[in-house]
Amino acid sequence: MITVRQAQAKDLIEMQICNITNLPENYQMKYYLYHLATWPELSYVAENEQGRIVGYVLTKMNDEDSSPMPEDGHITSLSVLRSYRRLGLAERLMNQAQRAMVEVFGAKSVSLHVRISNHAAYALYKNTLKFDVDHTEAKYYADGEDAYMMKRSLTGLYPMEMDSMDF
Amino acid sequence: MDRKEEGYENIKRGLEINPKSSISWHVYGLVCRNDQKFVEAIKCYEEALKADSDNIHILRELSQLQMQTRQYNKVVETRERLVKLNPTFPSFWMGLAVAHQLTGRYDLALKVINAYEDSTKQDNTFDPLQMSELLLYKNWIMELSGDYQGAIENLKEIRAHVRDITTWKEQKAKLLLKVDRKEAAAMAYQDLIERNPENNDYIVGYLACNGLDMTRAEDQDAALEVIEGLQHQFPSSNRLRSVPLTFCDGENFTRVAEALAKHALRKGIPSLFANVQALYADKAKGEALGRLIESCATQIRDTKRFSDSTEDESPSVLMWCDFYLAQHNDYYGDHERALSLIEDAIRASPDTVELYMVKAKILKHAGDIRSARDTMDFGRQKDLKDRYVNSKAVKYMLRNNELDEAEKAFLVFVRDDAPHKLQELCEIQATWYMRERGHAYRRLGDLGRALKQFHQVASSFDTYQLDQFDFHSYSLRKATLRTYVNILEWEDTVYSHPYYVDSAKAAVGCYIELFDLKQAGNPFQPIPERTETKPLTRNGAAQHGHPNISAGVGETKVVEVDKDLTGATYVNADDHMAEALKLIERLEGAVGGQPATHILAFEVHLRMRKYFLVLKAINTLRGIDAEHPALPTMAVRLGYALDADESFAAPMKAALKGQLSKSFGDVSIEQSVETHGESLAFAIEGAKGLLALGGESNVAKAKALLLAAPSEKYGNMRTLLNLQEVNQLLAKCNISDSERAGFAANAKQVFPLATCF
Repeated sequence: MITVRQAQAKDLIEMQICNITNLPENYQMKYYLYHLATWPELSYVAENEQGRIVGYVLTKMNDEDSSPMPEDGHITSLSVLRSYRRLGLAERLMNQAQRAMVEVFGAKSVSLHVRISNHAAYALYKNTLKFDVDHTEAKYYADGEDAYMMKRSLTGLYPMEMDSMDF
Repeated sequence: MDRKEEGYENIKRGLEINPKSSISWHVYGLVCRNDQKFVEAIKCYEEALKADSDNIHILRELSQLQMQTRQYNKVVETRERLVKLNPTFPSFWMGLAVAHQLTGRYDLALKVINAYEDSTKQDNTFDPLQMSELLLYKNWIMELSGDYQGAIENLKEIRAHVRDITTWKEQKAKLLLKVDRKEAAAMAYQDLIERNPENNDYIVGYLACNGLDMTRAEDQDAALEVIEGLQHQFPSSNRLRSVPLTFCDGENFTRVAEALAKHALRKGIPSLFANVQALYADKAKGEALGRLIESCATQIRDTKRFSDSTEDESPSVLMWCDFYLAQHNDYYGDHERALSLIEDAIRASPDTVELYMVKAKILKHAGDIRSARDTMDFGRQKDLKDRYVNSKAVKYMLRNNELDEAEKAFLVFVRDDAPHKLQELCEIQATWYMRERGHAYRRLGDLGRALKQFHQVASSFDTYQLDQFDFHSYSLRKATLRTYVNILEWEDTVYSHPYYVDSAKAAVGCYIELFDLKQAGNPFQPIPERTETKPLTRNGAAQHGHPNISAGVGETKVVEVDKDLTGATYVNADDHMAEALKLIERLEGAVGGQPATHILAFEVHLRMRKYFLVLKAINTLRGIDAEHPALPTMAVRLGYALDADESFAAPMKAALKGQLSKSFGDVSIEQSVETHGESLAFAIEGAKGLLALGGESNVAKAKALLLAAPSEKYGNMRTLLNLQEVNQLLAKCNISDSERAGFAANAKQVFPLATCF
């Protein structure tokens, strides 16, 4: 009995707690706020019946190159609490985020980083979420570990919808 | 004098020489702002404007400070001047529109946006993303102003320029429903469900279009029919499959639950119980679910298959049945049965980490904290790379007061390059961990370190609050105004988060203990450093993913070495009650509706001999819950304190006592406990009150009440938490060894597996 919806400011503390109890890469609140204030359409949460955030995807557009309209979305962090796995939540969260990237920002692809030692996450991205390794980034992580830069093409996945103005 | 004070002195000297200098006042204002003294900063900016009234920099920064301090009417004034001074800056218009919105003047907000739109009509360079945001903002303001029909027409006009299709479609559905155009609204919701069949709001909206409300019992059958129609269209939706459980009962409920459960059991979805636990609030539903899974387990055990199926199920289905039933029995407090079921599951699948996590939880509920910790750690060892089970193990270690072990485990996931690993915890705002540590230290009697942890939690929340500052400019530049207002609203409630509330309350408790120890002539001494808690220091480079957004208040701080590991600063504070009061004031603002806030306010004001405030706390609590078990003892304690305080003026004393007897009559603690003879809460509060009054006979009475806590008459009020509290209170009652043993034996009648008595 989980609902998947766009993230709001009131979710950020719970997202941060979900992140810090679940994943090794952690961020200050301001970074979450920065995501929300810049790309409010892109981040999604999974909330259980008691109002607890049990999963989220924190998403941005790749703003590292200086092009005014970046065409690559980026998954900053994707997390589902262990006790809520096998419900397809990661897929559902990603699906919403990806559609928003395409519709709002015209994204052509989406990318993410994963530790090369994190086999579970790699398998999720590769098999369930259909990402492929684009290249390896040496010493990407602060502790010296390499990252796979994984990518998925979004071309054609979310065709533009026509809305009738007759209402 | 440190550099900062020197800076302040220099600025003040400059102002003495030239008290009208706009530049000097501006600099003074900037310094105050960087020290987060926003109110002082505003005064400086106002002075600076006297000599330089059209200075755009000063006005802009002033408007940000006024936003931060929520002086919305002033923001309107300041931003109006900015728009007049430079109408070509988009963010000035946006800032003014938001200011009007926040003062409730939607009409003026719309006027501003319209005027701005007119002024940019010729401008093709305007960022289309920002235009899209602005258009949706305007539509939202139209909705807020109540002009639904106008907002609907507006939606049609703006569609071609809108990028955020989801919000546009949501607005469309919501507005059509508001003007009661149900058929069109239903189509709009259907469209939304197709895009996201897991969003409950869409489903609720779709039902509303059909004139149905899940919370109305008489709508049950019709709502179920509509939902089942949607299920056929969107078979992949988990939400549609499970939502009928929330509003159906009887046969409908069982039918839906059975389909859902069989699917989850076959697929091995570990969250089945967590997913339906909310339904257990309804006793009939909880019992029905238990019967259902029992029956599934029986069918599999007897025939290897479900009665409606012709194929054998995999053996894991029975394991997942046991897993569910263990949690089910744990929920109802049958820990022994729960443990035996989870053991069955573990025998069937000894490598499934989830099973150990549930076993640990059952042991925790049963009061065997040590075994709970061991079991969770066993699970952790099975999957050392998973932080979720690591976090659980750390939490359970802390519940068992093992601070060092917990720290070792926790640090496995703290980046190696952090200059100071423990400092890093504050940097990344690991509030859950600090809070658990605080409680562990407090249980161990280390009030200094406990306070330090609780203050670290508080300080994370202070940072959350300050974090908004940069967005007073950033969000206007980005034109994400809807999100900006959403951020402001959240910031206004940030201190009501349970982690803050719990930590602040615990900190007040620590200060009260410190005060009482000092009063008793036995002041608490900070507990010296033990070598193993020294921070692990390492050097290294910066980390990915921490951006600096714009300049401003919260710039990246240099990590300082922690000079006060024992919490001596808090222990040696001059006035413990003044420190506690600061937290109380915060709690009153954030969670004024919670009884505990006023009980703590009572304790603090009583020690400060502020009797009118003591009475106010009592009356506020009475307003929230006239039957609150703490009320009678609070009234009695105020009466005692007034009698005992000879320095307090007689007429005021009489006035206060008059008020007390008007509200509470001639109440005594013993009486109130007796009147509520079957309430353990009244007994515990009574005992606490008697202990606070002190004196041999009161302590003896308290002891008698506490020793009786495990009695049959208290039924299911004898929770583990209650009995643990009683156990702690007994330590203050000159309890003999045989009395303690007697209590432990009685408590174990209630919690046979408990090791904590």
